[in-house]
Amino acid sequence: MRKTFAQESQKGMRHITNEGLIDYVDGKGTETEKSAVENHLTACKDCMELKQELQFLVGRLQEDASFEPPTELVQWGINLFQPVSRPETGGLPKFIASLVFDTFDQPMFAGMRRVGIPPRQLLFRAGAVDIDVKIEAMEANDRITLVGQVLSGATKFFDNTPVKLESHGMVRYRTQTNVVGEFSFDEVPKDTYHLSVDLPEGQITLFCVHRANS
Amino acid sequence: MSVSKYKSYTDPELVSMCLKGDGVAWEAIIRRYRRLVYSVPVRFGFEDADAADVFQAVCLKLLEHLHEVKDDRRISAWLVTTTTRQCLHVRALKTRETTSEDELQEPEDPSINLEELRVLTEKQQAIREAVEELGDRCRTLIGLLYFDSTSPSYDAIGEQLGMPVASIGPTRARCLDKLRMMLRRRGFK
Repeated sequence: MRKTFAQESQKGMRHITNEGLIDYVDGKGTETEKSAVENHLTACKDCMELKQELQFLVGRLQEDASFEPPTELVQWGINLFQPVSRPETGGLPKFIASLVFDTFDQPMFAGMRRVGIPPRQLLFRAGAVDIDVKIEAMEANDRITLVGQVLSGATKFFDNTPVKLESHGMVRYRTQTNVVGEFSFDEVPKDTYHLSVDLPEGQITLFCVHRANS
Repeated sequence: MSVSKYKSYTDPELVSMCLKGDGVAWEAIIRRYRRLVYSVPVRFGFEDADAADVFQAVCLKLLEHLHEVKDDRRISAWLVTTTTRQCLHVRALKTRETTSEDELQEPEDPSINLEELRVLTEKQQAIREAVEELGDRCRTLIGLLYFDSTSPSYDAIGEQLGMPVASIGPTRARCLDKLRMMLRRRGFK
């Protein structure tokens, strides 16, 4: 605890005000004023601690502006949720599938070198339903092919199930699963997509994005 | 309901609302943690494009893993870890793409101390959250002084806040002191 102004005055020592310390931290004031503050700080441990505390605080506040992501990037992150937040029209419950496996997150073996861009494989799960997805980038034409399979834990296949690929809030492509629950979207433009699978129990939404290495 | 009304909700409350399909709760989470996430690739020294890739990947991961973080009191620790891993992953990929086999054996960049980065990133988030809890006048003043990219003059700040220019310095000192005391009470060192 810092001693009171009166206590310090009796000893002939006046503390620097917070405003004075902040001005000093900001580099404001004349050379004489700065020098007076510095002289005091060398003799007053309390003021030195307060100065360091304020310096850290002001420093963090000042640098925080440089951590502000571009507005469109923040909006991109917000828009990820749009398909789920849209009002339901069919009355079906909606589920967000959890990502349980992603080759993007798997470390490469030490010393291995990449030849071309490998397909990205993901496994999503919503309740008893698993959805395997493979995304392959076509380097030649800047497109991706997305194939997958919808199956349940009881090895049941979901055939003739509608599958939609959405981007920017609109359904871009539609298909259906075949007899073994497989579906495919061939050579679609690279983009961030939401994949929705319409099951009798509800609509499952997955989030797939084109990343630098997918 | 506007996103500003969601500011008072805790992380678990927001996550629960997200899982029920509330897009505004999701927006509140993204806005609350946008600078925390973006600060990590910036501190790694990434270019804008790579920092944006990391930001996007982490937003996506958060959405994919919402079920897992729903019971966490604070998402910030999960985000710092996930974003740091993503940065290391991106850096490793880039290193492999641009270096020869011999160079692959070199150790990681020692200039980045991951533990220091974690502590600093979490402290910075604690400061942001404390600023959000200050009264309107202090929050606006600190926003204008430190976060406004246009760097408004004291005259402009005085006009906006309806206060004499001579009062800005003392008010700033009082606001920073409130902030400092608030952080102290929370065990911030």
